[in-house]
Parts: sequence; C-alpha cells; structure tokens
Amino acid sequence: MRHNQESQRMSDVEAILSVRALTKSFYGVRALDAVDFSLRPGEIHALIGENGAGKSTFIKILAGVYARDSGEIFLEGRAVEPRIENLPIAFVHQDPAFAEDLSVGENIAFGAGYPRRMGMIDWKAVNRQALEIYATMDVEPLDPARMVSTLRAPEKAILSIVRTLAHTPKVLVLDEPTAALPEADSMRLFLAMKKLRERGTSMIYVSHRLNDLFGLCDRVTAFRDGRHIITEDMTATTGARMVEHMLGRAVDRIGEAKQHSKHDRGPVALSVADLVIDGRGPLSFDAHAGEILGLVGLRGGGQEAVGRAIFGATPIDSGTIDLFGKQLAGEHSIARSIKAGVRLLAGDRLAESTFAGMSVTENMFVNPAIRGQSNWRWAAPSRERQAAKELLERFDVRPRKEDALIDWLSGGNQQKACLARWLGERGKLVILEEPTAGVDIGAKLAIHEILRSAAARGVAMIVVSTDMEEVTTLCDRAIVINRGRAGAELTGADLTMEKLVSQSSQGGTVSHAAVKTVV
Amino acid sequence: MPNTNHGVVGNNSRPSRSEGGHATRALVNFAANYGLAIIFILVLVVFGVMRPNTYLSQANVGNLLTSQSVTALLALAVMLPLTTGRFDLSVGYHVGLAQVLTVGLQVNNGLGWPLAALIVLAIGLAVGGLNGFLVTRLKIDSFIATMGVGSVLYGISNWYTDGMQIAGFSLPGDYTGLAGTIVGVPIPALLVLVVGAALWVLLERIPAGRALYFIGSNARAAELSGVNVPRSVAGTFLIAGALCALAGVVLGAILRSGTPSVGPEYLLPAFAASLLGATSIRPGRVNVGGTLLAILILAFSFSGVQQMGAAFYVEYLFNGGILVIAVALSVYAAARRRKAAAASSK
Repeated sequence: MRHNQESQRMSDVEAILSVRALTKSFYGVRALDAVDFSLRPGEIHALIGENGAGKSTFIKILAGVYARDSGEIFLEGRAVEPRIENLPIAFVHQDPAFAEDLSVGENIAFGAGYPRRMGMIDWKAVNRQALEIYATMDVEPLDPARMVSTLRAPEKAILSIVRTLAHTPKVLVLDEPTAALPEADSMRLFLAMKKLRERGTSMIYVSHRLNDLFGLCDRVTAFRDGRHIITEDMTATTGARMVEHMLGRAVDRIGEAKQHSKHDRGPVALSVADLVIDGRGPLSFDAHAGEILGLVGLRGGGQEAVGRAIFGATPIDSGTIDLFGKQLAGEHSIARSIKAGVRLLAGDRLAESTFAGMSVTENMFVNPAIRGQSNWRWAAPSRERQAAKELLERFDVRPRKEDALIDWLSGGNQQKACLARWLGERGKLVILEEPTAGVDIGAKLAIHEILRSAAARGVAMIVVSTDMEEVTTLCDRAIVINRGRAGAELTGADLTMEKLVSQSSQGGTVSHAAVKTVV
Repeated sequence: MPNTNHGVVGNNSRPSRSEGGHATRALVNFAANYGLAIIFILVLVVFGVMRPNTYLSQANVGNLLTSQSVTALLALAVMLPLTTGRFDLSVGYHVGLAQVLTVGLQVNNGLGWPLAALIVLAIGLAVGGLNGFLVTRLKIDSFIATMGVGSVLYGISNWYTDGMQIAGFSLPGDYTGLAGTIVGVPIPALLVLVVGAALWVLLERIPAGRALYFIGSNARAAELSGVNVPRSVAGTFLIAGALCALAGVVLGAILRSGTPSVGPEYLLPAFAASLLGATSIRPGRVNVGGTLLAILILAFSFSGVQQMGAAFYVEYLFNGGILVIAVALSVYAAARRRKAAAASSK
C-alpha cells in the first residue's frame, strides 16, 4: 500500500482535497452532519455506506449540484466554491450518458473540445486526440470512429473515464461504476484506475462491493446516517469491520422487528433452473405458494432482471422457468404470464407503474385479463365504480375517491392503488419490485400487511429489493443475487440485515476470487 | 350529439380540502368540463341575435352540418392515434385520394357507387395498415411516417387524374343523394353521429379502447400491464384510414366531382378540433364529445364571422389561431392539474 502511516483524521497537510464540517439538510432532515473528509494525492479512497448514508449528497456538493449549508472545501490547500468555480474534479456516474449515435472520438471531443483547422473541425485530429487520451491511461484504445451505441458495457465504463481525462482532472470521483458490470469486466476498469493512480490522479471510489476494495483502494471512509464514521487504511480493515461501520447499532434494532409467518408454506409455485439473462447467471431456485421470498442484491446485482424474466418482460439467454409445475413453452410474453397468474409490480412507480392524468379507478382496472375478463367486454361504469370502491376500502387507498386522478394521491397511496391493480384477484405468483420505495412509514407497514395477508391466502410472493431492512422484516426466506447468480440463501434466524449486507457486498462466489488472482 | 352523456369517470372533481369555496370549485369544474358547450351556446346566441334571419336558418345550419361532416370524420380519424400520442398527418391527402377515386371509379370505370365505395374503403384500410406498420414494426416516428405516406398518396391522386378535375355530371343521383337530407337532417351529419357514437363506446366503455389512453399516458406501464402496445397503436391507424375513406366518399358526393387538389386543407382544422376537444368533456385527453363540439364551435363561429362580412382569408387565420390557442389551453390545464396534485399530496 502506498500510505502506510497512521491514518490521521482531517488535518492532512498533504491532502489534495479536504472537506471540513460539511453539513446539508433537506427539509429539516440532516443528509450530512459536519462531515470531515480528506483525499491524499495519488490515492484511491473508497467511500462506503448504506443507501441514505449521505454519499450521494456528499458527491453532489463536490460537483456543485447542491449548495452546502455550512462547512469548507479545500482543493490543494485553497478554499473553493464548487457551485461557482470550474474545478479540476471529474465525475463518473453509474449509468454514464453518451451521445449514442456519435463516434467515440466525438464523445471525447465534447468534453475536450473539437480540434480545429482553419475554423473547421479537424476530424483526423478528433480521432488522434481520442487515441492519445486512451494512450495516457495505458489501456487498449477503441477505434475512435466506432459508434458509442455499438460499445459493450465495460467499454462504455472505460470511455466514461477516458472522456473526463481530456480535462486532466486532479480528482476523479467514481460513483459505483461497476454496478452494472460483470465481474471480469470490472477488473478491466480497476486496471485502468490503477494506471491513473500511477499518473498521480487521486480518486474517490463509491461502491457497495466491499470485496472489490481490497487490492484496489488505499483507504476507506464509512458514512452512516449522514455522519463520518471512520477513515482507515485498507490494510487495517476487514469486510466484517466495514459492514459494522456501515450498519452500526442498526443491526440489533432490526433483528427484533422480524415477524415470522404463522402459516406453513405450500407447494412449489415457481421453479427456475439454470437461468442466464444477458450473459449473467446461471441461477436456480424455487418459490413456494404462501411464502414471501426475497431476491436481494445491490443495485445492478441482476435480481431485477430475474423477476422481469419470470414475468416475460425480459428475454432470457438460456434456462427454464416452470410455473405451477408446467414449463413455459414457446415464446414467453407478459400477456401469457398474466393469464397464467403471474403479476409484477414495477419498482419505478412513475416511469413504469402509474398512469398520470388518469383516475384511480382507471389505474386499478388497466387490463381486464388480470381479472380473467375479456378485453372487448362492455365495462359498465356503475359496476366498475362499485368494484373500485371495494378495492379502495380493501387496500386502504386514501382519499376514498374513485374519480380522483392518481396524480393527486401521495406516493404510498399510489402504490396501494397499483397493488390493488395486481393483487385484486386471481394472482398466484406476485413479483414485487421495491414495494415500498419512496413511501412513508405508515404506508410501508400497511403494504407489508397487505403482502403478508396475500401470502397467507396461498399466493407465492417474490420481493425483489435492495432494501435489506425490508427484506429482513418481510420475507420468510431470502436469496442473495450477485451478478445474476445465487449467493447465500438465508432463512429463519439467519435472515438478518447484517448477513444480507455482508453477503451481498462480498459476492462470495468462487470464481470471484479466481478472476481476481488472474488479474 | 353523443357528447351530452358522460357521467362515467369524467367528473374529475378535485379532492376537497376546505368546506368554503365548494360551490366555486364546483362551478370551476363545470366550466372546465363543459367550457366548450358553454362557448358553443354563446356563439349561437350572439350571432343568432346579430343576424336573426340568416344565421340560424335551416339552410345555413344544414349547409354547415353537411360541409363540416367531412372535417368531423377527419378530426375523429386524427383523434384515435392521438389518444396514444401518435400523429396521423396523412389524413388530408388521404381524403383527397379517396374522393378522387370514388368519383373516378364511377365516372371512368362505370362502377356502381357501393362497389366504388367498398374499393375505396379497402384502400383506406390498406393505407391505415401501412401507417401502422411503419410506426409499430419499423418504428418510424409517426410524424415522419405519415407525412411521407401522405405525400405519396397526393402523388397517386394527381397521377390518377393527371392533375385535372374529374367532372361528375354523370354521377348517379343515388350517390350524390348521400349529401342530401333525411327528414331535414343532413345524411353526412347522421353518419358522423353514428361513427362518433361507435368510437365513444370503444373509448369509454370497452377496455381494449380505453387501453389507448393508457398507452398515451405511459406506454411502458401499459406494456408491463399486458397491453399489446404495437397492436393497439396499429389499430388506431387502421381505423383512421377507414374514416378517411368514408370522409372521401362523402366529400365526393358533396362536391359532385373528383378534384385532386382538395384534401390537404382539411388537416389543420381536423387537428385543431381534436386538440381543442381535449380541453373539454374529458379535460386533458382527446375525446369524441369534445372533438365534435369543437367542430361545431369552429364552424358556427366562423360562419357567424363570415356573415358579418369577413373576408375569405379569415378562415385560415381562424383555424391557425384556434389550433395554437387550443394547445396552449391544454398545456395550461395540465399545469393547473399538476399544481393541484402537488398541493393535495402535501
């Protein structure tokens, strides 16, 4: 490791970037509470923490997206103002956006500026410039004339770094750049980062994959509940220690809230074997009637694609999906899944679930096939109104106005209306993505109750989630998905937040270690 | 008119927060839902008083209803793809081709009018099918696909006629009688009524039709709810094509000739009516009742202005102005609703 001296807090004289007592509140909630941080020249500094720990707020303040409430930021010893100054700090986001229909060279030239000859764009120089920047990073360059839309995910990830280098940044902030990358491809990215470090670039690396940090990062800082918890050398810490820093005492608190189902689980409703999606897998598991099964993982862990594939919304590369003892034959489609009794509540409520500008009633009765009725039948308004009233009552949607536009409802009530759409009747296997994301605690408890009672009726429930606390309290069993594969399976007393977090952060597969030693 | 009975989910009453202002809110809601109807009545009263002998005469009203039935059919045609957020810009050229062919097949080829109409209808379905294919299978933006198809249709009309009018002196009385009346009511207006009622049932009472609004609101969510989005969208273009053909048959009977230059000027009023209609009856979405009401307003207010002595070009100013104002009103209403939503979710 490069810096083996005792980690000092803050007053790092040699720090390239240091932050003192940074504080930021949103609507009275402290997102950052007097956070100190320092980045040394030429180090890769990991930043870890649960969702909501304050990492994104911290980065967005550095990027000048948010204004801080108080605190100071120093770059090379000088107090700076990210909202006003153009600082030599570059950012690489999890899902970098490119001009997909333009070439690699042009995408780099956007940031670097187009080289010109006699006032016109010099296209040869555009491509040369791209090659030069790739060369400084010592990674295999892409053909600068290639369209970005033809690039693979890891090539895009590296391009997202390359294009920032045109500005010769002193500090590079990487926000979960590997979340969507297969294991082996992450390694290419890490290699590129190490080359950059050799050139003296300092990096802040945000990641949930704790195992990746060893061998890559020099130091690690943990945030929890908006506070700086600890900064330590990577050589002085362990995966378990980092999990402890991230979760703190929260672990004990959650463990007690757990409620086990009082009913026994029924027969196998879903059987997935050797499922490979988008090159990731294979994955095999069963889900039982009357059971709430959690498919857990980090963002980009691949658990969402599994749920979508079962529902017929995502194509699969290989493997089989048996529903209620019957293998799905021919082309799998959403319409066929619905007919078979499969339901899917999409996680992104606004983008994929609610119909803005339409009434609550309409939002609950989107597709008559969900109720086993024809698409061409006469829908009598009086009958629909009556059915809507009953659903609003049963799912406790407020206000109890079947004519209200869905837009007028709070997030929690919108979600209940969407649940009513899918859970009204006839569902046998219900897949729920982040069922309580963005709803208040009252609605969260109500939704959990709805889901438990559906399970008690014998419905097989699959909760696809990154919310470990929710999975711990709601699910009877949880499978940790990492890069499309099943990691640990936790059930009963083993299903704790601590184990979920450490399992999903570590990936824990044999191949993982193997790839690492090769690189 | 089929726009008088919309008791379903259309009364978008805002969640009432305070007890005071209840009556005002109800009034505002009523005005929002039935604003066009109120304007229509005002138009009738004002011009009726100013031109008592001519404006509301049976001749003028009959004339207006007959001539506007073509615009009305085309407005319904553009309305259907609009429910899903798609544009059909081919309707103007399409009605021109249908009209030329209906007259031409009778005059040049000696076909009986029902057969000619059937052939035109089949071509209409084919054109609608082509539009749907381009938009849903080849995924060409509807704006561009239908603009291209429209121009091709215009070319075919002029090719078929060599750019000249087909004189319709020999047209049978049975056919030209389509532009006449039954017990004083113009037959084309009755046709609009029947088509309008059918579309109203489709959009307001049949789940497959209502799915179109779901697609327009959130296509991705519709897809994840099991709605077959491509098939639904293609269906709207298919029906739009059939309606253009129907409008062409009626137009030929009204004009009693086949004129290749006729058609394009229908596009703008059709969109104006459809979008203006979205401000009323079912505010925020294009709908049958609102569209037909908008046609009446456009026709009767323009006729009134004309009878007051306005020049011929005023029609274009009028239609263009209404289109812009209609869209501005829709945008404003949508912003108001969003604001109300934000306020009530707090």
